[in-house]
Amino acid sequence: MIPWGASVRVQWRNRTGRRRGFWIWVPLFLVWLVLLPVVLVLFPVVALGCLFVHLNAVRLYGTAWGIVSSLRKTLVEVDTPEVRVCVRLA
Amino acid sequence: MGDERRQVLEMLAAGKISADEAERLLTALEGGARDGAGGATAGSASGGAPGTKARPKYLRVLVEADESMTGLKGGTTTVNVRVPMQLLRAGVRLAGLIPQQAHDQLDAAFSKHGVPLTLSQIKPENLEELIDHLDDLTVDVEGKDGNPMKVKVFCE
Repeated sequence: MIPWGASVRVQWRNRTGRRRGFWIWVPLFLVWLVLLPVVLVLFPVVALGCLFVHLNAVRLYGTAWGIVSSLRKTLVEVDTPEVRVCVRLA
Repeated sequence: MGDERRQVLEMLAAGKISADEAERLLTALEGGARDGAGGATAGSASGGAPGTKARPKYLRVLVEADESMTGLKGGTTTVNVRVPMQLLRAGVRLAGLIPQQAHDQLDAAFSKHGVPLTLSQIKPENLEELIDHLDDLTVDVEGKDGNPMKVKVFCE
């Protein structure tokens, strides 16, 4: 299953030293919907390219799908003295 | 056949236990036997059976750097990355798509830099095996006074 959303949390310290921040949920499914026509248009072009470099296009698409679908539950968290950013794919 | 296995099968035949219960008991017996032999590896773990080691799901990378390393004043900076093991497997499959011509070039570049590695000899099944055994991996890097940085790589 491909990730449908990403939660992004950003926090920073204000002048008094207190942490402030916001949390947003990014609807990735909308990104996939926007990208879908592009992918469909590029589909035959990539397949042609694969023919030229002797690559199996089906395996390439399968692997690409595998990478996107295994991105779920990926977490990247960076915490510096000033800013804290956390991105979580769900 | 072991006495315990036979006992379970006899109980099943006599109708004292259901097929599901028998299966559970046999799985538990197998798990116990493997543990006893000291052979419970992640590769053979069936996932969830009693007595077997659970398969790791994520590769975790933790980096902690001092302000002298990052140049950011006010404390340490930490980076915490959690990558699903499934993503590693997909990445390995991507590596399998590298054309032979590129393999040759990479091999030449490796040997030029003194690395005796032949990529064409690494098959996807070898890499799968490698990932299966990553659960035993723990890398701890701790810098000395001049390089106060900690890196921790492990599976969970």
